[in-house]
Amino acid sequence: MNYTKEIQDIAAKLFAEGKIDVFVGYRVNGFDDNQVPVLITDPQDVSKLVFTDKSVFNLVNYLKNDHTRRKRVGLVVKGCDSRSLNLMLTESQVKRENLYVVGICCEGVVDEAGQKMQNCTDCMVPDAVVSDELLGTPSGSDTLSGSYKMNADIAMLAEKPLTERAAYFEEVFENCIRCNACRHSCPLCYCAKCCIDQETATLYNGANTTSGAFHALMTWSLHLAGRCVDCRNCEKACPSHLPLHLLHKQNESVIYENFQEHLAGVVTGDRGAFYKYSLKDPDDFIM
Amino acid sequence: MEAEVKDQLVSIEKPELIAPPNWEPVIMGILCNWCSYAGSDLTGTSRIQYPPNIRIIRVPCSSRVDPWFLIKSLQTTADGVLVSGCHPGDCHYISGNYFARRRFLVTKKLLNFVGFHENRIQFSWVSAAEGPKFAKVVNKVTEDIKKLGPLHLYKKENFEK
Repeated sequence: MNYTKEIQDIAAKLFAEGKIDVFVGYRVNGFDDNQVPVLITDPQDVSKLVFTDKSVFNLVNYLKNDHTRRKRVGLVVKGCDSRSLNLMLTESQVKRENLYVVGICCEGVVDEAGQKMQNCTDCMVPDAVVSDELLGTPSGSDTLSGSYKMNADIAMLAEKPLTERAAYFEEVFENCIRCNACRHSCPLCYCAKCCIDQETATLYNGANTTSGAFHALMTWSLHLAGRCVDCRNCEKACPSHLPLHLLHKQNESVIYENFQEHLAGVVTGDRGAFYKYSLKDPDDFIM
Repeated sequence: MEAEVKDQLVSIEKPELIAPPNWEPVIMGILCNWCSYAGSDLTGTSRIQYPPNIRIIRVPCSSRVDPWFLIKSLQTTADGVLVSGCHPGDCHYISGNYFARRRFLVTKKLLNFVGFHENRIQFSWVSAAEGPKFAKVVNKVTEDIKKLGPLHLYKKENFEK
């Protein structure tokens, strides 16, 4: 998967036509062959852009900041990224007419060790669902009614007894340093004032402790329930390498199995599982 | 003795070792104003006995219950949570409890996934006419949580990290 030349051509063309102010893409980080996001405003810098299977980050996250807000933006999205873009469009965070979206039919990206990432092996929506221009050959997978692939970690943990799960997550929450990088790196956490930041709120435990991390991570994952697109930007950003995807995939699997919802963000205009209901929702857990 | 216990592991297996003598659970009861709160009122005026372990908070509707409330109460004082609202179809705000039902299921499964016993997070539908049912529900929840013992999960305040 290498679309470097195509993306450079598209960006150069968009700048020449005056269609965009900023182009958000990837560049090589300068130390090794890993990549970092780059915001290009000068047409001469277009040659910096690359796209290979090391382009791991979700660039939709960069639509939140002042460099791109209220500007015309060109953007590269993979399958998962396009779903988060879809949700941001649905939630009126960005305007579609200000965007030029280069969609990728993604074949999976690799982590720093060169292994294919777990969310890519489990991927159900490899093709960009929002795009002005699509690169690559569409896989043609059924995104709306395709069978749900249960995450292997979730299945493994769900079989373990409660006590072992508690011990496992105790360690996870203990290792959290409360830097909130997961929140910052999430494209769907765009609130100007986040509830888990409010130090004076009596409801909130802002301490850097196990209980504080439990509070923050659980609240955060429940705010993303039904919206998380499993791009794993939070895990890539986490300095403690916490398995944050476990919380999200658990919510996603419960929602998918019990409410017969399709995956978050595959349909424009669909706000996620918690914004609607069905009379047939399971009721057996309620006395 | 309580300080030595770091997690729920022991409390599930040997509640009698953990629970101090005369220990009583604290249960957070979050009740909807229109049905369950009126139902609990009816229980009282009907002179039906129910355990005093439940601490009741009145909310306008069961969909007012943010999962945050459950997380916060389990993290601080409560040993268990009971959320109660109107029966499906009886919601004062037409559809509030349908929305709430989805959130409750996901919250319960997530809290169970990270290690809370499923009996610590309980939900019920109690209408304004069901005084005896409310007493039965509170009895059951209190019994369940007494069996589980005090909650020690994720309460460590490790500032020295």
